Amino acid sequence: MRSQRHSGEAGEDHGIDLAPMLDFVLNLLIFFIITTSFVREPGVSVNKQEAATASARESGNILIAIRANDEIWMDRRQVDIREVRPIIERIHVERPEDTVIVIADKASKAGLLAHVMDEVTLGGIKEVAIGAQGLGEE
Amino acid sequence: MRMRRHFDHEDSTGIDLAPMLDFVLNLLIFFIITAVFVKEVGMDVNRHGGAASGPSTAKESESISVIIKASGEVIVDDRTVDVRAVRANVERLHAQKPDWGVMVTTEQAAQSGLLVQVVDQIHQGGVDNVSFGTSSR
Repeated sequence: MRSQRHSGEAGEDHGIDLAPMLDFVLNLLIFFIITTSFVREPGVSVNKQEAATASARESGNILIAIRANDEIWMDRRQVDIREVRPIIERIHVERPEDTVIVIADKASKAGLLAHVMDEVTLGGIKEVAIGAQGLGEE
Repeated sequence: MRMRRHFDHEDSTGIDLAPMLDFVLNLLIFFIITAVFVKEVGMDVNRHGGAASGPSTAKESESISVIIKASGEVIVDDRTVDVRAVRANVERLHAQKPDWGVMVTTEQAAQSGLLVQVVDQIHQGGVDNVSFGTSSR
């Protein structure tokens, strides 16, 4: 008798109250929306030169990597130097406030770095920084 | 009587939150997956010469000249110096000509790491207006 009453009541009840969970999930969601920056990562790791005066870029979110063997990587694929400019032009039209950081390997050629920076500037993005590694960070 | 029935209705259900929760959870998962917490560090360097440059901010005659050779030599104001001495030299020249910028000229085959080191040293020497060009050779 008791068991029947118990099960009957529980069945008619609303189950778990979802409201607190929803509050929590919404807070998480807002946090992730705010912190998302959609960085375009190059997809390769390079050996950066350390620099004491390098400062963090809040807005730098197009990363172009130049490897030691002078390959250029952006957006997780290897690109030719001649492709850099059209890609930058396209991105610049989509999101005009994006800025570029060119991350050159220690052993890459400075001439190629200059060439890449030229292509980016010709593509329409005037703010180009050279990537470096801050002291004491990994 | 009608009033009473209305109350009954509110009591029993309210809005069903489950579909909204499904949707919000999907959004949440999307943002968690796409979140990147990497902050890239970099330094600002003006580009001098080259295909893209308009009128340059620093005139060649009114800037401290730093030349980086492909062999790794660094020449500040016509004297070959060590990379670590660039800062002291730039500080001295900057004290003499406070409104001059620094122009770094590298050979095409010089290493980027050395360039970054030199620009870092110049920033440490107190000059923020650094432009960088490549020599044609």
